[in-house]
Amino acid sequence: MIQRLLPFFTLIALFIVLSIVSPSFLTATNLSSVARQTAVINIMALGMTVVIISGGIDLSVGSILALAGLLGAMTMHSYPVAAGVVAGLAAGTLCGLANGLMITTLRVSPFIVTLGTMGIYRGLALIISKGLPVQQIPDSFSFLAEGNLLDVPFVLWILLVCAAATQVILQHTRLGRYAFSIGSNPEAAFYAGVPVRFHTTAVYALAGLLTGLAGMIESSRLMTGQPTSGQGYELTAIAAVVIGGGSLRGGEGSVLGTLVGAFIMGLLANGSDLLGVNPYWQQVVIGAVIIAAVALDEWRKRRLSS
Amino acid sequence: MLLKLRNIRKHFGGVAALRDAHLEVNAGEIHLLMGENGAGKSTLMKIVAGMIARDSGEFLWREHSVQFRNPSEAAAHGIAMVHQESLLAPHLTVAENIFLGREPGRRFGLLDRRRIASEAARIIGEHRFPLDPESRVDKLSPAARQLVEICRAIHQGSSLLIFDEPTSSLSTSETEEVFRIVSGLRDRNMGVIYITHRLEELRTIGDRVTVLRDGQTVHTGSLREISAHELIRQMVGREIAANSKRSAVPPGAELLRVEKLSRAPLLRDINFSLRAGEIVGLAGLIGAGRTELCRALFGIDAIHHGDIRIAEKTVRIRSPREGVLAGLALIPEDRQRTGLATALPLAHNLTLPALRSISRLGFLNKNAEARATADLTARFCIRFASTKQLTSRLSGGNQQKVAIAKWLLARSRIFLFDEPTRGIDVGAKQEVFQMMDELARSGAAILMVSSELPELLEVADRILVMRQGRIAGELPGHCAPESVLRLAALESSAATAGDHSG
Repeated sequence: MIQRLLPFFTLIALFIVLSIVSPSFLTATNLSSVARQTAVINIMALGMTVVIISGGIDLSVGSILALAGLLGAMTMHSYPVAAGVVAGLAAGTLCGLANGLMITTLRVSPFIVTLGTMGIYRGLALIISKGLPVQQIPDSFSFLAEGNLLDVPFVLWILLVCAAATQVILQHTRLGRYAFSIGSNPEAAFYAGVPVRFHTTAVYALAGLLTGLAGMIESSRLMTGQPTSGQGYELTAIAAVVIGGGSLRGGEGSVLGTLVGAFIMGLLANGSDLLGVNPYWQQVVIGAVIIAAVALDEWRKRRLSS
Repeated sequence: MLLKLRNIRKHFGGVAALRDAHLEVNAGEIHLLMGENGAGKSTLMKIVAGMIARDSGEFLWREHSVQFRNPSEAAAHGIAMVHQESLLAPHLTVAENIFLGREPGRRFGLLDRRRIASEAARIIGEHRFPLDPESRVDKLSPAARQLVEICRAIHQGSSLLIFDEPTSSLSTSETEEVFRIVSGLRDRNMGVIYITHRLEELRTIGDRVTVLRDGQTVHTGSLREISAHELIRQMVGREIAANSKRSAVPPGAELLRVEKLSRAPLLRDINFSLRAGEIVGLAGLIGAGRTELCRALFGIDAIHHGDIRIAEKTVRIRSPREGVLAGLALIPEDRQRTGLATALPLAHNLTLPALRSISRLGFLNKNAEARATADLTARFCIRFASTKQLTSRLSGGNQQKVAIAKWLLARSRIFLFDEPTRGIDVGAKQEVFQMMDELARSGAAILMVSSELPELLEVADRILVMRQGRIAGELPGHCAPESVLRLAALESSAATAGDHSG
């Protein structure tokens, strides 16, 4: 149990150390900027958590983020802001749905399908926008990423709602239970009469929906629809899930773990900035943290099973 | 004396796997190691093979005290294990597998392929194994894979071989082949430790026997001086009622009727019916199509021709989902792979097929789930520490009970049991039979596939015999074993001598 909580302690330790060594860390401005920076990754990582629990992976979320953010921003040129947000969410969901349908009907592994759609969705975003950022977005849209509600960044409220919803889905719905069973042993789930294809598809659609939301937040943050945004985010999201105890073999993962994982990476990036660490080194540190976290987790499991 | 173990103790966390185990094995003897699941047989053998370390106790190998840190140290001393699940590289050839990890090299790191081939052929020839050194391992039957592992051990110069239930996945003729080979190893003055559950294998093969119970050695001695009944008593630690015929209940309405069912290439023109309250045995040789029939009925494999009628209504079953909804339940032969998601908690496995019945609008009713779990575990005496306990942590017998009990919540009425007693011990076997009896009494219809004729005759009310994808005939439950065998093997003895395994 202690080892299970290790990521959590790491996060707290990181927080305490940064508070001591950097006077500008524990300020409202800095903390809310950390929250805003990590919210996008966090929300994507929640969807990725469900995908990874079901034994899959989604490499296309970075591209979905760009495509959804772009389509949402374009919609705002002729329709109200709210319609743009809905369009972004719908685009994300459709992209996820397409991933799921291809995985379950073509019977190609999630890795390959989403590797393909990673290129397809990115290409579509570039084609639609002709490679140029979409600008002239109504000012009110900036509230999504930059606004405050009760003195707390609005994105944190969104994250809170998404995390709670994902937690409920995982622990209190059939979809969540089936995701665990499919990820744990797809054959046994099939033999038990679980509608495996339907729920696998639903899992990717859910990840698409959350990524669409993240895409709208990203667009609001940049106040443009960027066809090139979100590159490499899929790997950061996977890393957050894995640091938080998710297993790429399926059947394991948790909302809390993923949040902790995403915040650990957020604090590492923020801390390096504050301390003036060479940004090239940041990548080295984060890479090392990912490997160390998984190595520790594997060690814990080996000890448990022997 | 080759091996002498005294007062071996081993704890895992707070659980004592071995408390006081003794074992002595001589060169040139086949030593049977018996005991219920969880008695500590595997733990003891892992210690011998260097896979885990003992907590305390004496380990003498050829009169010298040893402490192996890993399997290669044990192998270097001449101890090898033939695993239940094959640990071979499936894409390599027989010869390459025999030499895996100790390939004879030439200069510049090149492999001496010619020597690998000729050495492998020499070992295979010397022991008259029916193996082709050049065939790929993934093309081989389970029995042939075991031969490859034996060749590996011989090549490594082993003087003690450990067999962990070698015949549990083999057909009768393959089993005889394994016996011939094991006896051959004894004649070459090797020591053999042989773990088995199947009592009927004893007399043919063993010299001495050691019985473990709850991590302790409770009996050791010559096989000639102990009766089968006494052996069971030693293993279980209490008297087990002698095999007695189940008292059948009068059969009720017809629940399942199969008409002219065919599925290429194996299943042809299968007709039979099951009535409520019946336990019908399905006998046949390995490869006769019994598992395939269960899979087709349950919707895993598509049916090409024929009808399935459930409670007098023709149904189309195209997936296990539709099978479950139609009232069917399958307890597959491979519990770990298809029967259970062993990495999930016990409760999640129990409710998986019937999640719909304890949820509304997609949301689970956790109270209903807890109640259902408590009911089922109490009713079938499933022993567990907590409902959150991972299913993999249950004993084999309790796992099988979970694999059966999970269908009760789904309100299944037609149960297909495929080898329900495979890999579970004597005590648990009787409990599984009790569950089947109880199910039948509550109005379920049961089809039971088993390769162990004695248990089939003990449990079944009538017996269907399959041969080469057809139902060859039907016999009453009190028939003689010979008549079943005759039906199962008739006119197929020539055809199945080859490779009709699986």
